[in-house]
Amino acid sequence: MAVAHVPPAGTWYGATLKEWVFTTDHKKIGMLYFITSLIFFIVAGLFGLIIRFEQSAPGIQLPGLFGQEGTDLYNYILTGHGAVMLLWWAVNVWMGGFANFLVPLMIGARDVAFPRLNAFSYWSFFGASLLVLLTLIPGNWIKMLWTGYAPYSMNDNAGPTSLYVLIVLLYGISSTGGSVNMITTIVSMRAKGIGWTKLNLFVHAIMAASLIQLFGVPSLMGSVILLFTDKYLGTNFYNPMLGGDPLLYQHLLWFYSHPVVYVMILPAFGVFSEVISTMSRKPIFGYISMALAIYAIAFVGFETWVHHMFVSGVPDWLRVLFSYTTLFVGVPTGIKIFNWVATLHKASIRYNTPMLFTFGGILMFLIGGLTGIPNAMVSIDLGISDSLFIVGHFHYVLGMALTFGAFSGIYYWYPKVTGRMYSEGLGKLSFWLMLIGANIMFFFQMYMGMVHGMPRRYPDYPPIPEWVQLMQIQTVGALIMTVAILLSLINWIKSLGGPKAEENPWKSPSLEWSMTTTPVGPNNFKKYPVEVPDDWHPYAYYKGYHTHI
Amino acid sequence: MKNLLSLLLLVGTAMAKEDILAYPRAYWENSVTVWFWVAVAIYIIVAVPSIYFMVKYRYRPKENEEGAHIEGNTAIEIVWTVIPTIIVLFLGTYSFANFVKQRNAPEGALEIKVTAFMWGWEFEYPNGKKVYTFFNQVADPEKNIYLMPEKIDDSAKAYIPAGKPIKVYCTSRDVIHSFFVHEARVTEDCVPGRITKLWFQFNKPGEYWVFCREYCGTWHSRMASVLKVVSEDEFNKWLGGQEAQQTAPANEPAQPVQQ
Ligand code: HEM
Ligand SMILES: [Cu+2]
Ligand SMILES: [Cu+2]
Repeated sequence: MAVAHVPPAGTWYGATLKEWVFTTDHKKIGMLYFITSLIFFIVAGLFGLIIRFEQSAPGIQLPGLFGQEGTDLYNYILTGHGAVMLLWWAVNVWMGGFANFLVPLMIGARDVAFPRLNAFSYWSFFGASLLVLLTLIPGNWIKMLWTGYAPYSMNDNAGPTSLYVLIVLLYGISSTGGSVNMITTIVSMRAKGIGWTKLNLFVHAIMAASLIQLFGVPSLMGSVILLFTDKYLGTNFYNPMLGGDPLLYQHLLWFYSHPVVYVMILPAFGVFSEVISTMSRKPIFGYISMALAIYAIAFVGFETWVHHMFVSGVPDWLRVLFSYTTLFVGVPTGIKIFNWVATLHKASIRYNTPMLFTFGGILMFLIGGLTGIPNAMVSIDLGISDSLFIVGHFHYVLGMALTFGAFSGIYYWYPKVTGRMYSEGLGKLSFWLMLIGANIMFFFQMYMGMVHGMPRRYPDYPPIPEWVQLMQIQTVGALIMTVAILLSLINWIKSLGGPKAEENPWKSPSLEWSMTTTPVGPNNFKKYPVEVPDDWHPYAYYKGYHTHI
Repeated sequence: MKNLLSLLLLVGTAMAKEDILAYPRAYWENSVTVWFWVAVAIYIIVAVPSIYFMVKYRYRPKENEEGAHIEGNTAIEIVWTVIPTIIVLFLGTYSFANFVKQRNAPEGALEIKVTAFMWGWEFEYPNGKKVYTFFNQVADPEKNIYLMPEKIDDSAKAYIPAGKPIKVYCTSRDVIHSFFVHEARVTEDCVPGRITKLWFQFNKPGEYWVFCREYCGTWHSRMASVLKVVSEDEFNKWLGGQEAQQTAPANEPAQPVQQ
């Protein structure tokens, strides 16, 4: 029954505080997630800066400020930086923020499949966020690092294990609810005419990432539940003194925590694809292989976790086996990079802020990917495991490819969400500073790890002049990056009062641009139910759907 | 600049192997060299066309306003699936070959037991001699920072004979630690309830750091000790026992034993 629907007056966001708190609207929940993620990104970023300053000189500086507790404070801050960056920023900016806001719009749905479950997921995430804030109180410092390896995490030196477990469990409940919601929505709520080969690559990415969450999160929750019972209830899963095995914890943890890096990076790939195609005014090259590569990465991602344990004492044959499977992830990843490059061939490329961040993100990912090979080659890993090289590598991939992707996405959809246009000048300045700062910071981090063997998680180190110098160069990079991030934040806030955006500023045929108002109306679509012509495709730029649907 | 030169030296001359400082570092460097050039090649293959397209196909009003309608090309997509697969298999196998040598100590190695604890190391030699190291012994007591090895008291150093493979059996008394000898490019975790192994060999006398590379709590970053590599005679004198009299393989370790 095709009912022409007249959207009620007003925008999606106008509502009272009470309506925001009790909302089940995917757009509002998406924004709640997004803002929570962003706040935590800023806090964790400041933690990162503290870490940088501490490492800028040998010796431990924090005790000067905090007495003998200084080292523990450092370990707490490092735990916070890692855990919050990964779980609050890298995972939830996508799975909570972007996915909630965009997926229904991209598939022609009014909302997600289970709106109340969606609200519940957000509020358990919010609960976990409050518990994270509790760790700021001295005495509540969690110092087991985000990995929380047993048996250290059962030691009193590690901080309140029960709090850590509770945070992870609430977070896990939220993620499981969120992924069930996304999978059901994408499977069953696509509008008529939108088959699996006509989904935005961003939607494929969210689908794959949700599948990873659904299969992986239980392993994470299991690992910490066993930790909890071991520490407080006298079981012996991990305690070697009583017949347990500490490596069991690592297997359970990495079975989730390796695949989850694809939860963080696949949506960034999705954004790269959207932006490259739009700003080149060209369909994405090799759409089918791009989509298949996403699922291949998600699948193979579950077969690689032992590469985090190459020097942990696992049998040698296992190390070799997982060396091959890990390297193999490079194949579908390569396919994606080659297809992006091919998309540029005969394109008409517009260099605006989202496109620059996408180029930067792909560049950072390329470097991150190539420097991932040594971690996978078990013979090299013996020399660089747990060194700053690893930290540099994953900051290229997660820290930067992901963050560039998220920034690109924020600029790209900014008009859709706010109805206003951001400032291009400020955006571009922010991009260039971030690119320069990130490369200074993380190149020298990797370099220091590989050539000088500096271990990771070290506030202190011998006063070797070269080490000190390398550390200070990194600090310069981090400061440039800080300025860059601040400029973007200012841009987003200031532009809320900026010029009104056009209805479809990028002239995109994708549904969220072509069939909704800008900003989106409360009921999403101008016409509902949504129906698309047979030859419609989200990347069909040559057909000019943006003008006639 | 000196830093960057040493990187180039590392990847450029590792194959030349004139003056091998340490094993299994030599094998490690082979793998690094292969990786580095493969990575540079891939980087160039991706970057050069990208930059060319980015300049050539930029948006120009009235000249280049629309992209071409190209949806893909099956042949080329197959090529860039198959070739990376071959590269992956090559890299995996190359690393495997080196790994076998890096993991299996040559025959006649001197065996040492290392027990890690929060936060220090205990070295035990075949004749029962023990050396303990923890931060107090490697720190400047006044400034509370690391001392460089020259200034550390010799009694807090683990002596090692030069030119002889050393096999370390490692375990831990409390949480997981990790035994890492940077100059030899080896790491292995020391896990409570397990015994893990690694081996290395220094050909040049000198003093080399050992660090803990698995996070182990408050003083993780200060869990260091120093290996003092000395001539075999000097080592035997220091050890004071009857041990370590097997013949030393001259600079080149014997073929690794498979275990
Ligand atoms: C904003 C700029 C950032 C700076 C200046 C920064 C800096 C650092 C530094 C100095 C370390 C400690 C290295 C060590 O000694 O082990 C670190 C660790 C880490 N960072 Fe960042 N970082 C930044 C952004 C990010 C982002 C965006 C992510 C993730 C999305 C991230 C994830 C991590 C993780 C997981 C660790 C490891 C923590 C651990 O060892 O447990 N960082 N970062
Ligand atoms: Cu340790
Ligand atoms: Cu440690």
